[in-house]
Amino acid sequence: MTDGIRVRLALRHEGFALDVDLALPGRGVSALFGPSGCGKTSCLRAIAGLDRVAGGFVAVDGEVWQDDSRRLFLPPHRRAVGYVFQEPSLFAHLSVQGNLDYGLRRAARPHALDAAGVVAMLGLEALLPREPAALSGGERQRVAIARALLGQPRLLLMDEPLAALDAARKAEILPYLSRLHDSLAIPLLYVSHALDEVAQLADQLVLLGGPHGVHSGPLAPMLARLDLAAAFADDPGVVIETTVGAHDDEDHLSRLDFDGGALFVARRPEALGQHLRYRIHARDVSLALDRPQASSILNVLPARVIAMAATDTPALLLVRLQAGATPLLARISRRSWKALQLAPGSAVWVQIKSAALLDGQNAIHVNTGCAAGGVAGR
Amino acid sequence: MLLTADDLAALWLTLKLAATVTVLLFALGTPLAWWLARSRSRWAHPVAAIVALPLVLPPTVLGFYLLVAFGPHGPVGGITQALGLGLLAFTFPGLVLASMLYSLPFVVQPLRHAFEAIGERPLEVAATLRAGPLDRFFTVVLPLARRGFVTAGVLGFAHTVGEFGVVLMIGGNIPRSTRVLSVQIYDHVEALEYAQAHALAGGLLLFSFVVLLAVYAGQPQRRSF
Amino acid sequence: MTVRSIRCLMFALALALTSLPVAAKESITIAAAADLKFAMDDIVTAFQQAHPADQVQVIYGSSGKFTTQIEQGAPFDLFFAADISYPQALAKAGLTASAPTPFGTGRIVLWSATEDARKLTLQDLAKPQFRRIAIANPEHAPYGVRAVQALKAAGVWASVKPRLVYGENIGQTAQFVQSGNAQVGIIALALALNPAFAAKGGYAPIPDTLYDPLVQGFVITRRAAHDPLAAAFARFIDAPVAQAILRRYGFAGAH
Repeated sequence: MTDGIRVRLALRHEGFALDVDLALPGRGVSALFGPSGCGKTSCLRAIAGLDRVAGGFVAVDGEVWQDDSRRLFLPPHRRAVGYVFQEPSLFAHLSVQGNLDYGLRRAARPHALDAAGVVAMLGLEALLPREPAALSGGERQRVAIARALLGQPRLLLMDEPLAALDAARKAEILPYLSRLHDSLAIPLLYVSHALDEVAQLADQLVLLGGPHGVHSGPLAPMLARLDLAAAFADDPGVVIETTVGAHDDEDHLSRLDFDGGALFVARRPEALGQHLRYRIHARDVSLALDRPQASSILNVLPARVIAMAATDTPALLLVRLQAGATPLLARISRRSWKALQLAPGSAVWVQIKSAALLDGQNAIHVNTGCAAGGVAGR
Repeated sequence: MLLTADDLAALWLTLKLAATVTVLLFALGTPLAWWLARSRSRWAHPVAAIVALPLVLPPTVLGFYLLVAFGPHGPVGGITQALGLGLLAFTFPGLVLASMLYSLPFVVQPLRHAFEAIGERPLEVAATLRAGPLDRFFTVVLPLARRGFVTAGVLGFAHTVGEFGVVLMIGGNIPRSTRVLSVQIYDHVEALEYAQAHALAGGLLLFSFVVLLAVYAGQPQRRSF
Repeated sequence: MTVRSIRCLMFALALALTSLPVAAKESITIAAAADLKFAMDDIVTAFQQAHPADQVQVIYGSSGKFTTQIEQGAPFDLFFAADISYPQALAKAGLTASAPTPFGTGRIVLWSATEDARKLTLQDLAKPQFRRIAIANPEHAPYGVRAVQALKAAGVWASVKPRLVYGENIGQTAQFVQSGNAQVGIIALALALNPAFAAKGGYAPIPDTLYDPLVQGFVITRRAAHDPLAAAFARFIDAPVAQAILRRYGFAGAH
């Protein structure tokens, strides 16, 4: 295997053991998700070479960084890796420009990402002459991301880059991360314990610290798996990839088409044909046997029951459904399951709470659909 | 003119000694302070304690042991004689060596605190930006610890200027070689030449005050050293 | 324990305390030049046989320093100087309670701890093998002044001067030689005669024609004007026992 990321680690601390064996694609965002203290950060540090894990193996794009069977261990400064820490950790003695130059001057390989493009993508033009102390938390983290990128890494690692920011700063920086996702030609490993960030950014999901060990796979199917639902605590749900199908300016709605039907949501700014990722929480989905005739609920889709699982709350069940090719999750009461005499194979009508789709909160990812922008390439 | 030629010679010698000692202590103290700030070795505590010894020991203890060590039967004397350097007592190099020991904590402690204050993170960041160990030291540690270096240099220099006990015990009071300012003042007092003693002592007092003022004024936040 | 028994105990304690000072101890402090170190120790030991209840404390140092300190009110009752000119200066300033009294003559010798010094002469000091030559600081130590006089009179001053190291007093000068850091030194005969030093190297006397006599002198300071113990100690210096000790340490030919 010459492409992508291969990581085999046996992390051992006092009272803690985590065996990781990952094969991740050489492009896109892979999220390492799990509760605090499950070993996400240890994993990332080992990949960067900041910590040495005995018996480990790390290879990126066919370049072996660590192989203890061959006694090979490259120190961090010999790895083409970019690392964004939870705290921005800018060099206090250098200006923003100086911080960026620090990465650029020691670039791991010929400049694939040009400095002006990265600065523009992260909106740093006006900040260049400033000192780190004069920046907001969100601005600092954007500089830290640009600095890591300008080191021209083959792999970008981000360790909860938003965790130290308040909600407003998070909202300020998320669009930049989305842009990064769309335009970056190198793989990004993104550690987080915040499901909304993961749902927005990730293509691949690696679950750590769950009761059943390590799982990894493409995001959407992973989120729809009943056996992993416990990992998402009290907020299971799916993401669906949609295309903007129509706008209705009279009622201020947009129609989003996906394989399995269409959703009406509050008017989107995107043009027709744009891709849009939408998150649908299981708590917002209810089921009916007959198509509701007189109901205020706007979004009603036909679907089929695939499976059912108990949840941590005895009164509630989690139901997996299929609408066309798209899996959905619904959280309903045990009594309703019995009253409707549901079973795998049952045909049902799925109702999605209007408010959940109409307040715009769930539109989590604007996918431009093509690698546009000035920072593409490898 | 209050200062005699001997006074000026003592003044010049003192400045030369303090400058030499400070430069050498930077070379020796920087790696030592770095090791003390980073090491988790079980030797770190004993070494830190040894470095700090001159802070608590009377100079006479150091002076006495140096005199014995520098002598023909002492360990240092044995080495310097074998190397054809003769004995170190009553020589400028001997004074430099003694002053380095005596002023070591005044250089190592501020540096160590400065290094510790930097923390691990900026170094890790630099490492992931492909800066090797030396690169990291010169482009991250040095600039971030700049204030610590200033404090260390000023204190090391000033403390060497103010040294008396050790010099008296191993210096031999040789004009232009080991008779430094503090000894010259002592001699003036012993010889009942109070006017001369005043001129030198007052100058030293003023110098020390200005130095400490500069150190404290240069500290942005309250920090102990 | 009853209240009554506590009272008894307190009474007994009070009785014991008040009865103690009846045989009141006296104490004096003596400042003595460093060349007197061993001689004065012996004299004090002899003196205390006659005055077992009294305390005599001796502090050794340079005569110049003691003069300064007595001027500034240091609590010394007697001052034994290596050069009588120091007590004379104090007397002139009205700081003494007795006339400065000579009690012996100091002599200087060549001494080495690392080689046999018995056949050394001042002329030998011109040889380069003596890399460091220790003398007392001539700026304020009487033995240093005499050493310089002798070196000049012997005609070796110019060749010796660059190799001189200066002890703060004659005691430190001897210590430079004893530790081997100086190969030879000009020290007080009284120090060279003490058994610990005599066991090493040996000494060679320097002819006393080459330097001014080092008349040792002592004085009772003003603060001890009415101190009977200080007066007793001053008298004791004339006693045959003390004189014998001074002779043994080479302070002969006093007065």
